[in-house]
Amino acid sequence: MQLESRAPGGPLQEKWDKHRFDLKLVNPANKRKFDIIVVGTGLAGGSAAATLAESGYNVKNFCIQDSPRRAHSIAAQGGINAAKNYPGDGDSIRRLFYDTIKGGDFRARESNVYRLAQISNEIIDQCTAQGVPFAREYGGMLANRSFGGAQVSRTFYARGQTGQQLLLGAYSALMRQVGAGNIEMFPRREVLDIIVVDGQARGIVVRNLITGEIESHAAHAVIMATGGYANTYYLSTNAMNSNVNAIWRAYKKGAFFANPCYVQIHPTCIPVHGTYQSKLTLMSESLRNDGRVWVPRKSGDKRNPNDIPESERDYYLERKYPSFGNLVPRDVASRNAKAQCDEGKGVGSTGLAVYLDFRDAIKRDGAEAIRKKYGNLFQMYERITAQDPYRTPMMIYPAIHYVMGGLWVDYNLMSTVPGLFVLGEANFSDHGANRLGASALMQGLADGYFVIPYTLGGYIAGSSLSDVNESHQAFKDSVKKQTEQINKLLSINGKRTVDDFHKQLGHVLWDNCGMARNDADMEKAKKMIPEIRDEFWQNVTVPGSAGDLNQSLERANRVADFLEFAELLVEDAISRRESCGCHFNVDFQTEEHEAKRDDENCSYVSAWEYNGEGKEPTLHKEPLEFENIELTQRSYK
Amino acid sequence: MGWFIKNFSSSIGKKQIMAITGLIFCTFLTTHLLGNLSIYGGKGSFNSYAEHLHSLGVLVNVAEVFLIIFAALHISMAVVLYFQNLSARPVRYVKKKNAGGRTISSTLMPYTGLIILIFVIAHLINFHFADHTNQTIFDIVSNVFSNPIYVISYVFVMIVAAFHVKHGLWSAFQTVGANHPKYMPFIMAISLIFSLIVVVGFASIPVYIFSSI
Amino acid sequence: MSMNLNLTLKVWRQKNSNDKGHMETYEARDISTEMSFLEMLDVVNEKLALEGKEPIAFDNDCREGICGTCGAVVNGIAHGPQKATTLCQLHMRHFKDGDVIYIEPWRSKAFKVVKDLIVDRSAFDKIIQAGGYVSVNTGQAPEANNIPISPEKAELAMDAAACIGCGACVAACPNASAMLFVSAKISHLALLPQGKVEASERTLSMLRKMDELGFGNCSNERECEAVCPKEISIANIARFNREFIKANLGSTVE
Repeated sequence: MQLESRAPGGPLQEKWDKHRFDLKLVNPANKRKFDIIVVGTGLAGGSAAATLAESGYNVKNFCIQDSPRRAHSIAAQGGINAAKNYPGDGDSIRRLFYDTIKGGDFRARESNVYRLAQISNEIIDQCTAQGVPFAREYGGMLANRSFGGAQVSRTFYARGQTGQQLLLGAYSALMRQVGAGNIEMFPRREVLDIIVVDGQARGIVVRNLITGEIESHAAHAVIMATGGYANTYYLSTNAMNSNVNAIWRAYKKGAFFANPCYVQIHPTCIPVHGTYQSKLTLMSESLRNDGRVWVPRKSGDKRNPNDIPESERDYYLERKYPSFGNLVPRDVASRNAKAQCDEGKGVGSTGLAVYLDFRDAIKRDGAEAIRKKYGNLFQMYERITAQDPYRTPMMIYPAIHYVMGGLWVDYNLMSTVPGLFVLGEANFSDHGANRLGASALMQGLADGYFVIPYTLGGYIAGSSLSDVNESHQAFKDSVKKQTEQINKLLSINGKRTVDDFHKQLGHVLWDNCGMARNDADMEKAKKMIPEIRDEFWQNVTVPGSAGDLNQSLERANRVADFLEFAELLVEDAISRRESCGCHFNVDFQTEEHEAKRDDENCSYVSAWEYNGEGKEPTLHKEPLEFENIELTQRSYK
Repeated sequence: MGWFIKNFSSSIGKKQIMAITGLIFCTFLTTHLLGNLSIYGGKGSFNSYAEHLHSLGVLVNVAEVFLIIFAALHISMAVVLYFQNLSARPVRYVKKKNAGGRTISSTLMPYTGLIILIFVIAHLINFHFADHTNQTIFDIVSNVFSNPIYVISYVFVMIVAAFHVKHGLWSAFQTVGANHPKYMPFIMAISLIFSLIVVVGFASIPVYIFSSI
Repeated sequence: MSMNLNLTLKVWRQKNSNDKGHMETYEARDISTEMSFLEMLDVVNEKLALEGKEPIAFDNDCREGICGTCGAVVNGIAHGPQKATTLCQLHMRHFKDGDVIYIEPWRSKAFKVVKDLIVDRSAFDKIIQAGGYVSVNTGQAPEANNIPISPEKAELAMDAAACIGCGACVAACPNASAMLFVSAKISHLALLPQGKVEASERTLSMLRKMDELGFGNCSNERECEAVCPKEISIANIARFNREFIKANLGSTVE
């Protein structure tokens, strides 16, 4: 099968405009005849469902949470980028485009990223009109701040809760359409299967998480906005319920999975402190503006950090990267922290942490100035660790945070299964091998508000769609198969809990396919994952029944998929014979220990095709062509 | 007219009726207290205050009718809200603690209100509907307060009223929307001061009468 | 320093919304003071699962205090004893060895218990559907800087918009009133020029929906404000009351 990106030709600036003109339209009066399923209610799913309903489609919207307002987009802190250039500091659509491509280490599609930069401004307009309380300047105009990876101030923000406010904006638009009867809302539903009829996505099978009933829902097209799979690693900053199920099951129905090995690790998280730990908490990257990162010079130095004299401290980022210092990009900061801990210089009870010290900043600016800037973060840190960062240095360690990989989509955001569209973090489209801060929110909303309403119409108008309803055999077969899998999980009655397996998988992945990867470890992981999976299916215990609310069963179903997906993640990491962005294979590094790309041979998107259970997946490569920018090596010395 | 019924029977509508009538009663309490304090001027001054009041004639009757209407509104809203609130939580907590918002006076509102209602009825029987033919109001008052049981119960009820007013007054402001970060501390302070004035002002009279007989 | 605690839990167990439910006692052994409250429950649940018993069902998701999914009444206080903290951010160092901890679901006629500590908060969504939005379709928005908004107003709006919809206000209110939640949305939108346009319709419609769903009435007990993890002020309730007067007596909206 040939991967067709469907990116339009012509000059970069005109592609999206031209494409919208070329797309066929659905008559407004006809739209209500089309049922559209949207899975997910985060920034991408919520905005898509609302916008499609506004334009007249009959929308069914699903989410796993009890309310659409709880999607994990809500946890994004920093902000959202847009090329408004309000500060007049030299920003432009082209610069946002360029920064995003470069930040992604030149592994994203030019046409998609340019469109994203073009749309960014409309997003700010839309969200402001919805009543998102963005920060303001004294004169009442919108305020901007700077963020990693850019030399201009283009980030719009609402305190440290930008994701929450944007999500509540999309949620309010969604609720308006639910209230108007244009959207039917299905909360507490988890996708079990995608229904493909005559090669087209025509519905989904879900489990009602309250009654346990397995329900069928037919539609003319299916949109997935189900987020990322960071929880494959067990410990991540993602929400507890974030999972890979929906896109993994779509993969098994023919949707190609792109770049699964691109996993972003955030350098400033609160370190792991015990085996019982359920999740990691991210501290905003902005802390590195004033905090200095260091470890003791001597390995195994267990002294109180305040007792370690200046001469025995190693400010390793400042030492190795004199020009960027503590402000090197996320991937570089993360890898260096790991390297220090690997040398035995890590601090804290586990030895897996480095100090982030505000002593000098407090001395220079005073505690009050620091409190103003970071007070809420310090408070959050103290709440979790019971340590006062004004007096003792913070301890931080990198953690899995976001995934750039996801289902492969074309310029229309359609997967390789016609009629199955994928938006937001669930697709692979815009961030290449590394995402810049404040760009995830931009992408989710661009996809949902401004891309899918056009491209979905093009698909609907241009396809012949037969009559398919819930009584179609494909639904019946799927319900039967899913019921069997659930009953199987409940009948194993083994000796280990679901979480126990998930933790084991997480360890294997983190140790062998984490921040700094090497072939030997990855091969080891590739061998271990099927072993864990086999044991899971023989020795897991899932209490409770299938016919009611059963959180153990929900988790078992998710972990079963993580155990399959993890193998593909490792496979993808092994197959990429270069380092780029967040994928760092130690065999491919520059003399300065930076990721060394191979643009000659590896400038491609990997897209994996499922070939059936127990069979090796096929790797397809979508070549990336750069007509508008020159590829360069990143350096932060 | 539909909007009128709909809006004033809404939860906020009912609360605002409570608030407005409550504020009116606070004003009434103030004038009542100012009048009563004339007792410290002696028998003559108190009686002349009463005569002065009665000389207003029909105005007094009108005021009385309004007070009865306001009382009926205040009480009926209170009863409706009380039972609605009770039914809003059909299963109670096994263990429930106050998180720091509730005060004794806010917790006891329905009960202090009930006590005040019983008191007002008794109070009207004692003074308003007492036989005025052969005795002045001062005589009636002195008579009633020569009984220590009356004195004690009056003082008790005034303490109860103070608790009711302490929460009721600021609460009325809040319910009609008067809450502002700059002025709220004053409103809270005034509620406390006013409730103290109520208890000291009203309760001192029976004590004074009893001790001066 | 981390220590280990042994605790007795009294937990509400209820099979489903039709079940009557009861309190059940569990022992939680060797609980590290560094655990969060939900991690403590995880430990108890792992043990129950290994014994083949059904774990305690409780809602949770982000575990960093922003999604609003978690919540239970702990020893009589919604989200537990720590101020301005959701249950997931409450840590066990605030408890002592030997403590008896009561854990109950939010109690309100409008929030039915679904299972154990999980309640159905869809009533909140219904209230938002009644008007908790600005009626602007995608694509209709004017340029964002066309309407200046003073930082003072933007900050006040943000204070109200910070609501996470967890329902602790309802759980804590002696009357199970939803006024803090509803007023936060009314305030957020009434403070902004974009939201002012349809303020009267919104106020009346959200109020009526709130009443219809069976929430109690506000009697200014301030328990909501005391437990709110985002410290949303009852000044918002006063603003809602003001908006009601404007809509009721100052507008032509019925």
